[in-house]
This record gives sequence, structure tokens and C-alpha cells, in this order.
Amino acid sequence: MRPVRRSYDEATARGRIDGLLDAGTFREFCGPTARRSSPHLPALGLPVSFDDGVVVGEGRLDGRPVLIGSQEGGFMGGSVGEVHGAKLTGLLERGLDVEPAAVVLLLDSGGVRLQEANAGLIAMGEIQRAVFRVRAAGVPVIAAIGGRNGCYGGMSIVARSCDWIVVSEQGRLSISGPEVIEAVEGIEEFDAQDRALVWRTMGGKHRRLLGEVDALVENSIEAFRMAVIGWLEQPRPLDLAAVEAEHARLEARLRRFAECRDGLDVWRDLGVERPEEIPELDADAFNAVVASMEERDR
Amino acid sequence: MHMSTDGRKAAGWDTIHRSYRARMERAGRLASGKVVAADDAVSLLESVLEPGDRLCIEGNNQKHADFLAASLARVSSDRVHGLHIVQSNLALPAHLDVFERGIADRLDFCYSGPQGLRLARLVAEGRVRVGAIHTYLELYSRYFSDLTPRVSFIAADAADAAGNLYTGENTEDTPAIVEATAFKSGILIAQVNRIVDELPRVDVPGDWVSFVVEAPKPYYIEPIFTRDPAAITDVQILMAMMVIRGLYQKYGVTRLNHGIGFDTAAIELILPTYAADLGLQGEICRYMSVNPCPTLIPAIESGFVEGIHCAGSELGMERYVAERSDVFFIGRDGTMRSNRIFCQLAGHYADLFIGSTLQVDLEGNSSTATLNRITGFGGAPNFGSESRGRRHGSKSWLQAGEEANRGRRMPRGRKLVVQIVETFREGLEPTFVERLDAWDLQQSFDLPLPPVMAYGDDITHIVTEEGIANLLLCDDLLEREQAIRGVAGYTPVGLGRDRAVVERLRKKGAVAYPDDLGVDKRLANRDLLAARSIKDLVHWSGGLYRPPARFRNW
Repeated sequence: MRPVRRSYDEATARGRIDGLLDAGTFREFCGPTARRSSPHLPALGLPVSFDDGVVVGEGRLDGRPVLIGSQEGGFMGGSVGEVHGAKLTGLLERGLDVEPAAVVLLLDSGGVRLQEANAGLIAMGEIQRAVFRVRAAGVPVIAAIGGRNGCYGGMSIVARSCDWIVVSEQGRLSISGPEVIEAVEGIEEFDAQDRALVWRTMGGKHRRLLGEVDALVENSIEAFRMAVIGWLEQPRPLDLAAVEAEHARLEARLRRFAECRDGLDVWRDLGVERPEEIPELDADAFNAVVASMEERDR
Repeated sequence: MHMSTDGRKAAGWDTIHRSYRARMERAGRLASGKVVAADDAVSLLESVLEPGDRLCIEGNNQKHADFLAASLARVSSDRVHGLHIVQSNLALPAHLDVFERGIADRLDFCYSGPQGLRLARLVAEGRVRVGAIHTYLELYSRYFSDLTPRVSFIAADAADAAGNLYTGENTEDTPAIVEATAFKSGILIAQVNRIVDELPRVDVPGDWVSFVVEAPKPYYIEPIFTRDPAAITDVQILMAMMVIRGLYQKYGVTRLNHGIGFDTAAIELILPTYAADLGLQGEICRYMSVNPCPTLIPAIESGFVEGIHCAGSELGMERYVAERSDVFFIGRDGTMRSNRIFCQLAGHYADLFIGSTLQVDLEGNSSTATLNRITGFGGAPNFGSESRGRRHGSKSWLQAGEEANRGRRMPRGRKLVVQIVETFREGLEPTFVERLDAWDLQQSFDLPLPPVMAYGDDITHIVTEEGIANLLLCDDLLEREQAIRGVAGYTPVGLGRDRAVVERLRKKGAVAYPDDLGVDKRLANRDLLAARSIKDLVHWSGGLYRPPARFRNW
């Protein structure tokens, strides 16, 4: 085994952009020196961040122009407040003007920032609408999910509105977080302390096996970079037929796995030969399993 | 007991042995062969123990004869009282229940860990008279001198009907206890997890063992050497980089001991990255005296560490260790054998010891004692001290000896004894202090000496996030004090430094900062770690390491 030199999951928002883009090509919009921080947090006696926990800008990836946004999980769990959301919306709308090879969103967020809930909720709607407008213009929107916070709440809806998603094993994608489910439905329904269960039901591997993300890569910035490069200038169709097909797929999925209590049950039902070994596998071994299943289903 | 020559003649020269036979006879009715049912354990102990006996209950920082310890706490204190407990580690509530109930009243020990507060209270109430707090090697040495146990309880993995024992990976302290007890007419009672027809291998011959009890539950064991790489900080990585450049590379350290902790885990995890980039594979860190810490896996797999002897085992590492018999000490049956005494001896005569501590004073004395708590020493003082009986040379030993030479004509080597600490510990308590808490502890517990873990004159280097103080290059106590202040950062001790003296010490190498050592601080981040999580360690091990549930998130 070779040590991975640059961890994606542990990198900061700026570290991820720095490692992902071609060296020295990043130009930030509304950077920290502009001090566009949250107008709501000081009223609550809470500290602000000069970039409101998100970095947006433009640069080159494999020589091609891209727009890129990156959430800083270290500031309030990557949560989306008014300024944070406006920066992401503005980035996406710029995509309509400059038509880059892709808009890339590096997501690491628990969702709406509860301290500015109304503004954050409105921001989510604006971000999602902007994603669809960019996609309608033929520019692919690519989401990358890794890091400590995963991708929850409104940001998970944004992620699933994108063309492509790449995730690390550590990455999680779900609407409600483990603690929320436990609080609402009870510990019998979901034990949020059972970290293995959390990853079996929300983690990168489970989402990949369910077909909700398009690639699972090892925890390295280089691996994320290669995955994103593969999708530049590759929009997916966004029309009535595509949406109806997706709805049909989701309905069928809900029926098929209605009785499953755990990711393990789902994987078994999907025909994974040794489902209990899935959590142990590294990215290469896991992707080999996925490839053999896709081969079989073809 | 002291007897006059006439008394000796009258009593005979085998009184202990005759006492042994009498005890065996009393207990014989409870045994079928050597096997005693768990339900009869309390009766067994009441039969073999006599008031005033010296008793050893095996227990160390990992395995414990916990069932027999609990049984002892239930014996009748009319029949059994005034025992003198001579055991290395007090960790279980039952160990102190026997004092609370008057079954025992004297204690010689090494380490009390989580029971430290309660022990302190029992001492204050006069229920425990402490003989001394020892290091492991000292207490076991006294088993062969004036503190030989009359009865010992030990813990083993398995026994057969003849009393042969298999102690496996966690052999640890058992051989020392067995040797002292069995060959001085003592009663040896083994608690085993299971009785089988055929043992994987024999670690203790059956004719040394008096009785075997199959415990209702396997003996308790704690995974105390497991450090999750996810919790290692950038500051610890900076210190690890300084250790590799400023100590391991500088002196060419090949044989060493690592203490337990995140500081040393960080060193282990940047061997395959940082040290490998410096071309140090095969040059440093080749032989270690340590438990099989999971954070060593990447260094082993990348060929850095070639040989490891273990004082004990570590939960989850059994299969990995068994599959690496070139590296570890493995029985013919394919499982590891550990041995605390041999491991501590190997570490004592190694080129270097490095470990953490809680407080360091201006002479470099270090202590893990904090107020109101008797914790004791364990094994660190024997690893963390100069080995004055050493006679063989090595590059590291001779080079350090040169630095230590103050004009004497007879050349001599020097073991490197290193303390690695951050200038502030948890709760922003300064690590560097003018006066150790150990002085107050000495008073409150009426100890003959302040409980010091490593004496200043044994320590050669102190590593902090600021730099390295090389005490070998200090000419007198004043220079030593300033070298320590020079790496004590923003603690009151550090702020009290004499800048001119520290700068002079820096010129002669007694104080070295990262730039002086060629350490690039900008590289000090978690991306240098060969493994960033427990799961990375599992992958490095090819799936052979099976971490305990509490360390798993998958």
C-alpha cells in the first residue's frame, strides 16, 4: 500500500480547490478581504467568517475553464446562510454568462444554517433553480462529496440535482442526518451512535451501490480531480423524459427495498455476493465489485 | 519472620514446604485432579490462604485474573485477613474491596491507574499501608528476594487436565509470577478461559501449577495501546518530524522503545512517508521493544521496522502478528508470545527511549503524578533511564557518549532518553513548571521520595513543538535550565528565559529549533501520515488487523 499524500476528506475548502485545479489558475470571487460575512450571526453573539464558509471562483482544470465552489466544513459545519447561499447562486449564474466546461461544487455541509433558517431555506431554492438553469444551458454541474460533514439537508437535494456526483467512502449523502432520524423516529428505528450503521445507510459505498452517485474514489484530491476531469463538457439530458424516467426508477426502488432495515439487506437484494465484506473493501476492490455487477446486469 | 539458629533447627529447614503441603491437603477435597469448579473458588481461597500471607493477583495494564480477584473480595474476613498484597497493577474495584473489608492491609505495587483516587482515600483512612511504589522490574525482582508470594493468582487462556497452561499472546507478567511462586513452595492458582484436551502450546508446565479454575467469563483485557490516527494533530506531526531529523537521523538510532501515546504514534506513522523521503529506511528504527501497536503496521509493511519484541499483546492485532513471524516472536503453534520482563530488559539496553509525560521541571525531572492521586510508575522509569550497566557500543550510544563527555579520559557511551511534550497540556495547564506536583504528593502520602517518572540526569533530550533541548550539551545546571526554558514556549517557564543565554546555547546545539534541524514546518500536517484512520491501518494490514468494535465506524 502506498500512503495517500493529499487527503481530500481532511483538506480545507481552499486546499481542495488548490489540489483540484491546475496549479496557480484559481481566481477567487468575493474573497475574505471583501469581508462579505453573515449579517445575522453578530446579532446572536456568534463569530463570523470573512468568506461565510464558502470559497467561489474560476480557474482551469486539465486546461479547460471551470467555475468552482467549495464549502468549508470547519465553519459551522459547512452550513448555508444568506451570504454563503448567495455566493453559490451567483457562481452558478455566472455559468450562464461564461459557459465553462463545468461548474464544480465541492460540498461539505449539514444543510441550512439554523441561525439564519429563513434566509438559508430561500438560498437553497435559489441554488437549486440556478443548477437547473445552468444545466438547461448545456453546462454540466458536478458535485464532489467528502469530508467530515457529508452532504445533508437542502444541500443533498442540490447534489442530486447535479449531472454527476463523485464521493469518497467517508462521504455521506442523505436528507435527514442520523441524529435527526433518531430524535424523530426513535432509537429503535435508527441508532445514530452506531457509526457503522450510519455509513451502511448513508455512506459513499451505499449511495454508489444504489446508483445515486456516479463514482466512488479513494480519499485523495488527485482521485477526485481525475473523476471530475472525466465529466467536463459532458452534460446529462435534462428533459421531461429524463425526469419521468428518474421518477419511475425511484418508485420502483421504494417498492423493491421497502422491507430492508439496513444497507446490508439492500446490498444482498441487489445481488452483492458477500455484502458483509463491502465495508472492508478499499476503493479499487469496491469498484471491481460494482463493475462486475454492472457487467452482470447488462 | 526472623528465626534464631536454634529455632531453625527445632522447626526444621522446610517449614514453608510443609505449610504448602498442609494447604494443598486442605484444598484437595475441592479439586478433581487440579481442576476446581468456579462455584468453589471462594472456598478454595479460604482453604489455601492463611492470615498474613503475601499474595500476588496477576494484573497488568492489559490482562487481569479478575474472577479470582472478585472471589478474594468475597472470602470470610474471619478466616482470611491481614494479607500483604504484592501485585503490579491495581485496576479493578475488587482489588481495593479486599482492603475495605479488612482481608488485606498491606500493599506493594507498581501502578494504580483509574483506582488512584480511591487508593489515596484508603491510605488516608489507614486501611492500606503502602510498602512502596515500584517499577515493574523492581517489584518482580523483589519476588525473588524479600517479597516472594506465598499464593499467586494468575490468568491464562487455556489449561488441560494436567494443569499445563497456554498464556498465548498475553503471556506478559505470568512467567515472573510463576517462577517466584512455584519454586518457593507457593500455591499457584490459574484462572483460565477454557479447559481443553490439547493446548496449542505449553507456556507453563502443569507440575508448577497447583489449581485451575475455569472462570465463567474470559479474563478482562483492555486495548490500551490502540491510538486512532484520526486524532493525531499537526503539532504532534511537527514534533515527530523533529524527532526523526534531530534524533533518529542525527544519532542513527536503530534499537529503541516507544512509550504509549499520540506523540509516538505520530512518529510511527510518518516513518513510511517523511523518513522514507529522507532515505532513512534501513538506517533508523529497525528493532523495537513495544507492544504490537496498530500504528506500527505501515512502518512494518513498508519494511522500516524489522523486529519487535512485545511486553504484551494488543486486542485485534493477533492475526496480523501471527502472519509476521519474521518481525514478532511467535510460538511453534503460530501465536505470539509476549514477556514483560524480557521486553523491559531489551528496552533498557536499547539506544533510545522516547515517551510523553505530564510535568517537567527546570532540572528536567518529569512526573505523571498529579495532586490527590496515586498512580505509580509501571515500566516507564526502566525504559526511560540511562543503562549504566551497558558495555557494548553502537553508533548512537557512542555518539551520545561523546556529547556527554566533559573532559573525562575514559570513553563511555550514553543511552538517549527523550521526553516528548507539548508546552501546554489539556486544559491549557503548562507542562513546564518550577516545582513538580510530585513534591506535594510526597507530603500528602508520606512517601520517602517525590514520585518522579524520569530523573533529569537520566534525560538527554526534551522535544516540544518549539524545538529540541539537548541536555547532553549543557555544561551545568544553569545551562540546562535555560535550554529547557528555551523550548518551553509561552509557558511562564518559557517566558522567563534569558534570551542571550538561549541564543548562545542554540549556537552550540543545546537548543535547536525546526529551522536548525532542517525541518520544514509547512510540511507539518496530517497529509504526512501514512494512515489517517483505523480503517487505513486495516487496509495496510491486508485485512489482518481486526480492530475492536469501539474503534470501528464501518
